[in-house]
Amino acid sequence: MAGRRAALKAIDWLAFAERVPPNQKGMFNSLKTRSDGISAKLASLPETPAPIDWAYYRSVVAKAGMVDEFEKKFSALKVPEPVDTRTSAINAQEAEANKSALAYIEASKARVASYEKELEKFNNMIPFDQMTIEDLHATFPETKLDKVKYPYWPHKPIADL
Amino acid sequence: MLSRLVLTSGSALKNSGSFGACVVQASRSIHSSPQSKAPLPPLPEKGGKIRHGIFPEELFSLLYPKTGVTGPYMLGTGLLLYMLSKEIYVINHETFAALSISSVIIYGIKKFGPGVAAYADKLNEEKVAKAQEVKDVAVARLAQAIEDEKKEQWRVEGRHMLFDTKRNNVTMLLETNYRERLHMVTSEVKRRLDYQVELQNLHRRMEQEHMVNWVEQNVVKSITPQQEKESIAKCISDLKVLAKATQARAAV
Repeated sequence: MAGRRAALKAIDWLAFAERVPPNQKGMFNSLKTRSDGISAKLASLPETPAPIDWAYYRSVVAKAGMVDEFEKKFSALKVPEPVDTRTSAINAQEAEANKSALAYIEASKARVASYEKELEKFNNMIPFDQMTIEDLHATFPETKLDKVKYPYWPHKPIADL
Repeated sequence: MLSRLVLTSGSALKNSGSFGACVVQASRSIHSSPQSKAPLPPLPEKGGKIRHGIFPEELFSLLYPKTGVTGPYMLGTGLLLYMLSKEIYVINHETFAALSISSVIIYGIKKFGPGVAAYADKLNEEKVAKAQEVKDVAVARLAQAIEDEKKEQWRVEGRHMLFDTKRNNVTMLLETNYRERLHMVTSEVKRRLDYQVELQNLHRRMEQEHMVNWVEQNVVKSITPQQEKESIAKCISDLKVLAKATQARAAV
């Protein structure tokens, strides 16, 4: 009877709460309250019900054989265990989440690489007071005035001044 | 001023010397490549040193070993006197015009020069400061973005906790359901048995009551009218005795 129950994994709620991003805190709180409700309900029920005092009933009930019949049927009765329909769905969800998480981490790493490249460019550039205009255009290509597209001064649309 | 040009064009000539060599002989050139890949030296902060506004310091240092400190001045005075005496430079009205205009110009520059220079420097400073600020903001933003990305990656690592919680919930619900079923079975059986017990108790009580009622009825029925008259007379006589006793007590 003890083998049918899968062992409950201990959840560290504090560490879990740390990892939740701020925009999902509401969902996390509702999950926690639900989980706590379920575990409280579980804890309130004793594992086995109180046993029936057959001797007393046998002495009291006048009808012969009734108590014996009840006792026989009762001990022979096997309560069916509830069927687990959800765990497979949860596992499938977890596999999918793992996949999307890996993709997200890859994208995040690419972003980090691009940020670090830019950071390096900023850290390695020469100080502004030692730059010439050509150096400025080389470091920040967006400052270069497009003399082909706008051949007349100020070489950029008036709205951008 | 012209000497400056000579000196700067000397370096330009050095670069263009290779082109000249290329025209003569394509395979051999004086320098290995026309452009050197070394980074440029930083721009000089101030221009070359000059004395008296026009004469470069190099002239004075050139002549110092041979003629000492007064050498260039002697050279200048000598040249001037030579040109005046030999009338290579003729003094006419334009000389005075040049002198007046140059004195005014020199006075203006001496008076307002530093002010204008400071203003121009301030403008430049502002530009540089703005660019620097933009750079600082960008650097801070990038660092923050990298931090945030790392934090998000760390957050994603904890995703298994969610699914553990869900599985736990499912397990707990199943367990709860199972226990409830057990409890329900037991309580139902117990209820049935208790019902039987109560039923028996009820039967016995009803039988008792019925018997008591029946006995009572029979007793009442068995009292004949003769006995009833006798009992009533006895009751009256008893009452009279009791009343006399009470009256006597009350009088006392």
